[in-house]
Amino acid sequence: MNPPETATLDPKLAEREAIKDINQDYKAKFGFNDPETGYVYKAPKGLSRQLVEDISEYKDEPQWMRDFRIKAYEHFESRPTPQWGGNLNQIDWDDIHYFVRASEGNSANWDEVPEDIKNTFDRLGIPEAERKFLSGVGAQYESEVVYHQVNEKLEAQGVIFTDMDTALREHEDLLREYWATVIPPNDNKLAALNSAVWSGGSFVYVPAGVKVEMPLQAYFRINTENMGQFERTLIIAEEGSDVTYIEGCTAPVYSSDSLHSAVVEIVAKPGARVRYTTVQNWSQNVFNLVTKRAVAHENATMEWVDCNLGSKLTMKYPSIYLLGEGAHGEVLSIAFAGDGQHQDAGAKIIHAAPKTTSSIFAKSISKDGGRSTYRGLLEVAAGATGARSKVVCDALLLDEDSRSDTYPTIRIDESDADIGHEATVSKVGDDQLFYLQSRGLSEEDASKMIVNGFIEPVTKELPMEYAVELNRLIELQMEGSIG
Amino acid sequence: MADHTVCSTEELPAGASRLIEADGLEIGVFNCGGELLAIEDRCSHDDGPLAEGEFDPGTCTVECPRHGSLFDLRTGSPKSLPAFAPVETFEVRVEDGVIKLEVD
Repeated sequence: MNPPETATLDPKLAEREAIKDINQDYKAKFGFNDPETGYVYKAPKGLSRQLVEDISEYKDEPQWMRDFRIKAYEHFESRPTPQWGGNLNQIDWDDIHYFVRASEGNSANWDEVPEDIKNTFDRLGIPEAERKFLSGVGAQYESEVVYHQVNEKLEAQGVIFTDMDTALREHEDLLREYWATVIPPNDNKLAALNSAVWSGGSFVYVPAGVKVEMPLQAYFRINTENMGQFERTLIIAEEGSDVTYIEGCTAPVYSSDSLHSAVVEIVAKPGARVRYTTVQNWSQNVFNLVTKRAVAHENATMEWVDCNLGSKLTMKYPSIYLLGEGAHGEVLSIAFAGDGQHQDAGAKIIHAAPKTTSSIFAKSISKDGGRSTYRGLLEVAAGATGARSKVVCDALLLDEDSRSDTYPTIRIDESDADIGHEATVSKVGDDQLFYLQSRGLSEEDASKMIVNGFIEPVTKELPMEYAVELNRLIELQMEGSIG
Repeated sequence: MADHTVCSTEELPAGASRLIEADGLEIGVFNCGGELLAIEDRCSHDDGPLAEGEFDPGTCTVECPRHGSLFDLRTGSPKSLPAFAPVETFEVRVEDGVIKLEVD
């Protein structure tokens, strides 16, 4: 696709344009589904060793990857379902399609993407976003990436941004060097599942000293009912490089459940900076069980910006291992739990080297009986002298039926660590609403204003387009129209 | 420092491993293609039974069965997360066909 020049809009007009469909509900905007005509392959429901071998065979993978998958499958089978966090016993592992291929291969030309899929991403605004403010885009539909494009200038600088299946074919040695070194397959049951049946996801390599000025984006879409999406993402930022990666996710509204279980591994070499932003907006029939982990070497900076709005149950705790002296880690997290939703989110930061610094800001909003949980770990290991960290968890309850829990764990093995922890739980008070209503706002608008103010520390860290999107999604949630 | 007898060299051929107890420590002894190596049977991440994990004589590594960290048997250092701290290694030598271990 050759992005046409875009006219410069008055910022106010641009913002008005961006939020014009603010009251459109989830079902119309994201919750539609396409017919499955023309699908190349759809595995029968259920998981077996044969299916794992078939996926590998189908993708024509090298033997080491096939062995990796089988070992992970055996581990998944032998490991019990976790009984903490959300209720995972609701998942019927045999009622899921583990691999669905919607089209033949992926394309760098938008016009070659099958019509139905193209329409979906058009409706979600993906090509438009690429033209406006992205360095590269990947779009995954069901199990595989259907479109991938990266700015030519970046390619000339040696930046690799491709889907994981292509990376395995074209950059096997590089991929293998880092593959599963951050999250081994038997790290946990869901990482084992992902490792067994993974498909799609992004591979990003940024050479030393290269600064990718505009974000790279991946968009994940589930279309099929009872589908499992298991993408894997690996980002390697060489010494002194800088990259921002953004992912978004949506799915149709169905009455039965789907599963999304990704693995994201990030390696930030000395002096590199990586920011990974997620705007998760799955429909409310999706279990979102994701393992995300990064390592930050000497003087590197790793930032997770994690926004969880959709899904039935999310269990996700982006983590950062500060392995090199002077490394810095940040997690900014927002969770919104509405009716029937449980957002079990948080962060883990491990200070494993001297003079490392970190911060965790987690904000949750619960409404209409929704449940949000902050679950976090902050660890200062022996030898990590001079570590500094601040953890702030704020929960906002919008009514008496909703619930918020906080499970912060702090382990300190160095006496000179400087650690701060603050937690607040608040309810939108009648006096706040009364005051705003006395200024002419309706009760609904007053509540929205309070919520927007509450999440502002996170939205101001997002690019304008994403901040607008996040505010819009929160407003939809406030109206109870998502899912 | 004390010497502990592990077994005879015939009992630990290339590619084999063995678990022994010495001075109250569980220690895994490995034969990586003729090179004898020993590490503590306790993963630095979660105290998992490290030496009982999958042993790869080709790369001289062992994988913790609990969460999958891969350890270099020569250095005791982890090559993958979630472990990040090394485990203790011990000197192994052969005297008159008997494998012996030095424990501080």
